[in-house]
Amino acid sequence: MLEVAELTVAYGGVVALDDVSFSVPEGAITAVLGANGAGKTTLVRTISGLVRPRHGSVLLDGAELVGRSPESIARLRVAHVPEGHGIVSELSVDENLRLGGLWRRDRAEQRVAVDEAYALFPPLAARRRGPASGLSGGERQMLSIGRALAARPAVLLLDEPSLGLATRLLAQIMERLGSLVAERKLSVLLIEQNARSALSVAGQAVVLSLGRVVVIDEAHRLAGDEALRHAYLGF
Amino acid sequence: MRAFLIYTVDGVTNGMVYAAVALALVMIWRATRIINYAQGAMAMFTTYIAFFVIEHGTPFWLGFVIALAAGLALGAVTERVLVRPVESRPALSAVILTLGLLIFLEALAPMLFGAQVQSFPAPFSRIDLTAGGTQLYFSRFDIFTVGSVLCVMVLLFVLFQRTTIGLRMRAAAFNPEIARILGIRVGRMLTLGWALAALLGALAGLLAAPVLFLYPTNMDEVLVFGFTGAIIGGLESPVGAVVGALGVGLALSYVSGFLGSDLAPLGSLLILMAVLMIRPRGLFGMTRQRQV
Repeated sequence: MLEVAELTVAYGGVVALDDVSFSVPEGAITAVLGANGAGKTTLVRTISGLVRPRHGSVLLDGAELVGRSPESIARLRVAHVPEGHGIVSELSVDENLRLGGLWRRDRAEQRVAVDEAYALFPPLAARRRGPASGLSGGERQMLSIGRALAARPAVLLLDEPSLGLATRLLAQIMERLGSLVAERKLSVLLIEQNARSALSVAGQAVVLSLGRVVVIDEAHRLAGDEALRHAYLGF
Repeated sequence: MRAFLIYTVDGVTNGMVYAAVALALVMIWRATRIINYAQGAMAMFTTYIAFFVIEHGTPFWLGFVIALAAGLALGAVTERVLVRPVESRPALSAVILTLGLLIFLEALAPMLFGAQVQSFPAPFSRIDLTAGGTQLYFSRFDIFTVGSVLCVMVLLFVLFQRTTIGLRMRAAAFNPEIARILGIRVGRMLTLGWALAALLGALAGLLAAPVLFLYPTNMDEVLVFGFTGAIIGGLESPVGAVVGALGVGLALSYVSGFLGSDLAPLGSLLILMAVLMIRPRGLFGMTRQRQV
């Protein structure tokens, strides 16, 4: 379980996250929703160690992540799929996938994990040797998610996977992810601006506004609360 | 015809030394976006180390290997001590630090090893070979120069393209932030990159010294010519750097052979200007799209 407690982040004088607390249970998707500038991306970047918080803690099964480097947090099995895919476009598709689990050292196991990613996202297998820069937006998103899964993570941080994706493709990816979540007891933190799609797959949802948590509730109840939807989620 | 052949062989041999320097510059540029102006001085310094240990009774080849190892160490230390602390500053800070290192090493060398020009032994004969009575235009040392640089280049290619450590190094160079969230220790990869580049430079120093003699500024021109080659190649492309540096080697050899050696540096400048006017990104340069 991932527990975020009293997290406060500021860039210079601008507070991006203000006393944010919630937890991400195992085997479920927790959605973080909110408008542009609500602090969603800052939140995942802080969890993965790219941003140092001013205050607060992030516990993974009781171990403190704040203060660790991004590479050591990754090695504690926290996988981050950054906003805008974050693939290394100069490398081939296969090289990108292999990068995901490279720190684990066990070669045979790595190959199995990479093959699983190909099985999960068949379009990638066809372009294995090609440059990652030649992939479409949807394929890049698959590559990024496949690469994160190839690291066999305990926690998966997904930052706006819907960005630039066709609705049908997003639904496919989310469906595949959904079955993995239960199977592997993954804790998923799903950052989304597209609230409707996120609420349909998530167990619980956290709504951020201007860096503060305004609501934490079960996803289906949030989806049913019209006033709240209008106020914060825009649908 | 005979003169042309001689100048061609000369050009290729010198060009391979420039190519080693050019490739070292490109490796560091690609990994850290810094031009390492101290590349030549570092090579000079490690060659002095070889000279020193050989003078004190170490067998030549052991001294050769010690210099290469010293190159690795000097590259790693430079990255750790000089470049790392200014990592988050504008790239110019690190570039100025490498200039500082250049001046420092060129001042330190005469203090430690003396300022006089030394002759540095060549591991093989520099007298042109003959085959069945026919005079050839290259020596064993020329073969060694070309062969050893080629060999190191192939090894580096295999390391970067075919091994997981190479994959990690490329990921760290292309996109450090993504590499870090994938668990790659980017800092170590950069240190390793600098070390390997300095190893290549150290090889260039050892190959240049028998021809140029050894003195504290003996690699200055080699750095300029290697840099020219790297720029012609587009600064991003390892193949481009090698081709560019060979071109510079050949051009300089023809210019100094046919027109007089005083004109050689001018020739290098003319090629650089011509390439940059016709193809500002260099012959092998390309627009690169990076994703944040």
